[in-house]
Amino acid sequence: MSEIKALEHATLKVPYEMLNKRFRSAQKIIDREVDQVTNVSRQVEKALDAEEGPILAEVTKLVDNVAQKLQVLKRKAEESINDELSVTQICKRKLDHLKGITPPNSVTGDLWQGSVDQWKRIRLDRLVIEHLLRMGYYETAEELAAKSDVRHLTNLDIFQTSREVEDDLASHSTTKCVLWCIDNKSKLRKINSTIEFSLRVQEFIELVRQNQRFEAVKHSRRYFPAYEKTQLNEICHVMALLAYPADAQADHYRKYMDPQRWQKLVLDFRHENYRLFQLSSTSVFSAAVQAGLSALKTPHCYAQTCRNLNCPVCQEDLNRIALKLPYSHCVQSRLICRVTGLPLNEHNQPMMLPNGQIFGQMALPDITKDDGTVTCPVTNTKFSNPKVEKVFVM
Amino acid sequence: MVSRLSPTKLELTMDNESWACSSVEKDLTRVVTKLEQLHENASADIGDIATQMSELVEVLSRAEQLVTTLNSSTQVSQDDPMGDAGGVSMQVETEPTAPQRLTERQMESIRKAISRCNERVQKLSTEHRDLHGSISKIGKAIDRNFSADFTSTMRVDVLQDEENLMLLNKAIAKHYCRQGMDDVARTLIRECKMSPEHAQDVFDSEREFADIYGMWVKIQKRDLTDALKWAKMYSQQLSDRHSLIEFRLHRMRFMQLVSYGLDSQREAICYARLNFKKFAVRYEHEIANLMASFIYLPSGLENSPYKHFLGQEMWTELSFIFLKDACQLLGISKNSALSVVVNAGCTALPALLNIKQVMQSRQVLGMWNGCDELPIEIDLQPEFRFHSIFACPILRQQTSEDNPPKKLTCGHVISNDALHKLSVGHILKCPYCPVEQNAEEAVRIYF
Repeated sequence: MSEIKALEHATLKVPYEMLNKRFRSAQKIIDREVDQVTNVSRQVEKALDAEEGPILAEVTKLVDNVAQKLQVLKRKAEESINDELSVTQICKRKLDHLKGITPPNSVTGDLWQGSVDQWKRIRLDRLVIEHLLRMGYYETAEELAAKSDVRHLTNLDIFQTSREVEDDLASHSTTKCVLWCIDNKSKLRKINSTIEFSLRVQEFIELVRQNQRFEAVKHSRRYFPAYEKTQLNEICHVMALLAYPADAQADHYRKYMDPQRWQKLVLDFRHENYRLFQLSSTSVFSAAVQAGLSALKTPHCYAQTCRNLNCPVCQEDLNRIALKLPYSHCVQSRLICRVTGLPLNEHNQPMMLPNGQIFGQMALPDITKDDGTVTCPVTNTKFSNPKVEKVFVM
Repeated sequence: MVSRLSPTKLELTMDNESWACSSVEKDLTRVVTKLEQLHENASADIGDIATQMSELVEVLSRAEQLVTTLNSSTQVSQDDPMGDAGGVSMQVETEPTAPQRLTERQMESIRKAISRCNERVQKLSTEHRDLHGSISKIGKAIDRNFSADFTSTMRVDVLQDEENLMLLNKAIAKHYCRQGMDDVARTLIRECKMSPEHAQDVFDSEREFADIYGMWVKIQKRDLTDALKWAKMYSQQLSDRHSLIEFRLHRMRFMQLVSYGLDSQREAICYARLNFKKFAVRYEHEIANLMASFIYLPSGLENSPYKHFLGQEMWTELSFIFLKDACQLLGISKNSALSVVVNAGCTALPALLNIKQVMQSRQVLGMWNGCDELPIEIDLQPEFRFHSIFACPILRQQTSEDNPPKKLTCGHVISNDALHKLSVGHILKCPYCPVEQNAEEAVRIYF
């Protein structure tokens, strides 16, 4: 499986879901306008069928009505279809970017490497932006997207909507989230989401908090029956709140009155939004970071004496993150000289100092002084004219 | 055991990635074409019928006026714009007091127009609805060609941990700091509420690199001033590390002066006197060599054995050595840790997904868990190899503290466990050469 096939599902799936949504709303708009036209045209037909013979002035008016409705239909249909087309453009741009990892055949060598490197840099920016968005660091994501000019390759737009909803929820208001639920009603039903119910419960709780119990009952009558089948238990629990006095200390009461519930709603909403767009709950970035750390992690990274400056896992922060991750797997020896960083092989034979430390043949001049003293760079032991032995690694 | 799954099997499951893209693209293009067509039709068909309707209205209202004003029987069919579509000939009776009634022919043509209108709008709705199939084909193509589930490769998710997430934020901030995007780093630090100590660390650790990075860019543009200043500052440490960079920088500057021709000859000599002195012992031969370049000054360096000093390759090489040595001296890494990790991860994930699928199909998935190593070797580029790994050629296992590598007297290296398994009493026969030896004489070695 190639990198693109394994990692880029969401890159394409999100704009596809957007296209799908746009399509459905376009269909709705067109159908509504078509209905309007057929309604008025039916009126015309009815007028024509009148027994007395239709009156000219009346029919003229009705026909004029049809003409106007047709104009509206034309305008709206064009707008909706243009909307759909603009989403297909987003898809197209992302596809073009993905195809960029395999440059045309004519390019070779350095140029090819250069373009792949560039592609990978953009990919890193994309992945980081997605991660930032998932963490809720919207400003950073926006800024980075603008600076590295990759906005058209990210899913910033869908996160923009979710940011508004989240901000609204964080300030203890359900308005925007309810609108979002209505906007995505059919899809949410399909994925069995209970987010709308949670919102209604929260609204109920807020009414109880403000001691508007009568309003609360009205609210429950209006919204809860729809969830009778699936959420009856929860509904009973929530309704019980009505029985407590406003300053009750009972656990049950406190549990529901906890303002932390809003925080949980934010997270729930975020999660539902991912599900809506078939985004997985972890980002590609975090999966890649962990797989990468594992692939690079060796026992050496945790031994004080063997750290390598260039090794990311040897760096303090990443070292801590990688602590619980599995090590890389290796069946074939891969030896690297700790002085030169060059691989040890037939061109750079591994040589052993008297203390058992192995270095490449090419590193020997670097660690040997003119008087023949060899300093072991790991242990700092000095040997004068030591016997340096060749070792053979299969 | 897992490692024995043949690599060819994995390769077979690999598909051409551009093929995956183009198969999605094909479905997408189809939808785009259909949408464009539909857009055109909507404009043309609906627009057409709308115009017809307005014209009909015009004709009708004119008829109305005619009747009321002229009060006589008139024919308006000559300027009827819808002649071919049935025509709306207005034969109006003169009955001024009673409301005007439509004639049969008028009714006929209105009916026709209305039914045509209904037909067209229905057609638009149906045609748009028919797009649904093509659109969902895109979704299916994406699902078929791209894998949605990369999370299954993770046994533990260490990034659920708040502390680790903050460390990751730090790594991200550092990455952008390195590239001179300090603003991005600062916004992130503010947004994720990073502690001041961490934030300070971000800028401290990367400031050095940002400076070096700046000099590196300048060397490639053939400007050595900053790099020379830096090398002078770290002269002692550089020579302690046997780094060639200071001399290389001076050499390049000298040759640059020489290449300016006879006019700067004096300056070049002064430069050599001033700067080559401290390298006199170590680079005696090389300095002599350089000074000989004056011989070729009159005829121009480009026709001399020194012409390679003029090419861009020398500068690229110099900048590369500078970056490497400077980073090594300062104890910072040349590539951003984050980019190395993520790129390695992007190489590893597809391989891990593959092996996961193979293991699933062979029902050996249990082996995935409970093991502190990845199930397969990830084939990373040599530049991503930072540590020696010795895998015992006998036992095919990585060595560890408990099972260290040992060098036999003949020079061959095997793991301690293998050594014990192979030796009989104290006597060990090397598995690679005919030497018999005392197992006790094997030495612990360190890579």
